[in-house]
Amino acid sequence: MQGARTGGWGPGLPAVDRWTLLVCSFILAAALGQMNFTGDQVLRILAQNEMQLSLLRDLEGLKPQKVDFWRGPARPSLPVDMRVPFSELKDVKDYLESHGLAYSVMIKDIQVLLDQEREAMAKSRRLERSTSSFSYSSYHTLEEIYSWIDSFVTEHADLVSKIQIGHSFENRSILVLKFSTGGSERQAIWIDTGIHSREWITHATGIWTAKQIVSDYGRDYILTSLLNTMDIFLEIVSNPDGFAFTHSMNRLWRKNKSNQPGIACIGVDLNRNWRSGFGGNGSKDNPCSETYHGPYPHSEPEVSAVANFITAHGNIKALISIHSYSQMLMYPYGHSLEPISNQEELYNLAKRAVQALYEVHGIKYLYGSISTTLYMASGITVDWAYDSGIKYSFSFELRDTGRYGFLLPATQIIPTAQETWMAIRTILKHILRHPY
Amino acid sequence: MQPLPQALPAPGPGGPRPAAPLLALLLLLALRGSAAAPAGSEGPQGSAAAPEGPQDSAWQRDSELPHGLLQRAARAALHFFNFRAGSPSALRGLAAVQQGRAWINSKKECQVDLEFTTEHYNPEEGEERLGKCSAQVFFKNEKPRPTINVTCTRFMEKSKRQQEDYLLYKHMKQLKDPLDVISIPDSHGHIDPSLRPIWDLAFLGSSYVMWEKTTQFLHYYMAQLSSVKQWKTDEDAIDFDYTVLLHEFSTQEIIPCRIHLVWHPSKPLKVKYHCQGPQAPEEASGIEEGSAAAPTTGLTNY
Repeated sequence: MQGARTGGWGPGLPAVDRWTLLVCSFILAAALGQMNFTGDQVLRILAQNEMQLSLLRDLEGLKPQKVDFWRGPARPSLPVDMRVPFSELKDVKDYLESHGLAYSVMIKDIQVLLDQEREAMAKSRRLERSTSSFSYSSYHTLEEIYSWIDSFVTEHADLVSKIQIGHSFENRSILVLKFSTGGSERQAIWIDTGIHSREWITHATGIWTAKQIVSDYGRDYILTSLLNTMDIFLEIVSNPDGFAFTHSMNRLWRKNKSNQPGIACIGVDLNRNWRSGFGGNGSKDNPCSETYHGPYPHSEPEVSAVANFITAHGNIKALISIHSYSQMLMYPYGHSLEPISNQEELYNLAKRAVQALYEVHGIKYLYGSISTTLYMASGITVDWAYDSGIKYSFSFELRDTGRYGFLLPATQIIPTAQETWMAIRTILKHILRHPY
Repeated sequence: MQPLPQALPAPGPGGPRPAAPLLALLLLLALRGSAAAPAGSEGPQGSAAAPEGPQDSAWQRDSELPHGLLQRAARAALHFFNFRAGSPSALRGLAAVQQGRAWINSKKECQVDLEFTTEHYNPEEGEERLGKCSAQVFFKNEKPRPTINVTCTRFMEKSKRQQEDYLLYKHMKQLKDPLDVISIPDSHGHIDPSLRPIWDLAFLGSSYVMWEKTTQFLHYYMAQLSSVKQWKTDEDAIDFDYTVLLHEFSTQEIIPCRIHLVWHPSKPLKVKYHCQGPQAPEEASGIEEGSAAAPTTGLTNY
């Protein structure tokens, strides 16, 4: 199959679909028994200048054809991905090396990848229909999480419902779980996880927390009192496009997947896109930066969906935004060193919450305002929430402190979720006793 | 972290103004009822100690420690320590900073004296032993490669460490070609126990890189070993060519670094590396491909 010549960032299929399309065509071809890709590799080359780009184009022009571009040579600094048949590998690698073209092996053996994809697709047809066999101590894909959400809501329909609050840039649903025992326009707590897609421990903690809430209702007096008078909203995958990307292409992707015409780099840091201190020192206006704030506040659909929901609701009393890593519990501001007016109350509450967390597994957390504890960060969720009148605005940075960082072993999911829950519960208890 | 008393402002951009801060210091000390003493005589625990740190009067005690400075200094000192020890079985991680002081001069260079505890990077089941280190870390003004003096209490008997290193070395020589391995840990944070030594060796090499790149504002973690380019064990030493992804914390950037190390137990470690520079934003004049653009730094073969 001829690789589609996909150069640059012109309009067309988003990268995810393009990739899927290519892989599917390969599977089709393989399934028809016509092609075998054993040993074929996909190489990624970063050309540094026009001369190197033209060297790559020369490769493509060779007869008989030696390579097939999945992402063709467009401009320097944009990666070039090319499929190289097994028989041509040595020649092509010699060519690249002799011309000083740096490359890395993206796919070591296409056939292996195809076999895995085929297996995964077959498996997805057998996706679990209940949550009892869902593993809370593993990391999951977006599809698995969305499927779990449906099962979870069905099994606990008396307490939980699913709300779609919008769509991501790549048109995925943005979902929120609502925990409610009834009433109307009740005061509510908002919790979000996964705004930075590489922080996998946060989604996993969100899922476990959902299960904990339904099992604690009727058993734990604090949670029961809370749900008898207030609702809880839980957004588990706040950045679905980024999350899908961490599974398919880049485990360490942080931002969303939005792109603007003519801009080489994609993605906006969703935790720098909020209307509070937007564009300040704790963010960057370089689209290639990991902390790029985006063109204007709430420009990102993932942010505006939440902001609009919270504003329209009008009765959110606490917002807890969960990140990783660093082991910290913090409150506003991130965009300024100036203390908030409720600093003392939030400081003391954070102190108690961190103590409750510590008592579970002995893990130590730092606490304080974001700017003094972590770093300056402008345009963040909790600053916006606080400025919007949500007094109890907290940000967690979960385990660990750098040993594994974003790649926290799955064995730590449940311990992390357990201790985090005790901190959240401490905050909920305070809110119950200090309504406003 | 205990906030240190806010005393002297850092020197302003107009250059040192020795008179005013000195006056402020004297005033502060007078208010505290302690005898006038040179700057830097009070540790965070409040106990008076003999003045340490640079004796040159161009230095002023920086009591408003930039946030996280002590942690960054401790990590830099540990990276340097691990690299210099050259022992993948005796790697240390930061446990806690106990105390520290910082001095800053007119050139915005920063010296940090500190004490911290360490733990075994790969603790055995139930192992809790903490080591202690004291270090002097000298940061040049936003330039990397801090100068480091660090001493640590002996963590492991030297003979035991050598023994463990030799075991590791033998194990590595027997490993099947790990070029197949794409990433360690995998996406789920899992490291196959048989591949653990590769991670440790990669971390050792990365320690050199992370030490060199640390400044008073930038510090690094090794996020993932993303590929093994070459693994040669036919010669005496292990010749290891790989790429890691470093995570720089304050900017949140992921930086790929190509590292080439040569290791033999009880010989100094040899490391060469090249890290990818930051990507520059580019605007195309249209949506056509092929428009000329400013070259950006990227991976180069070396």
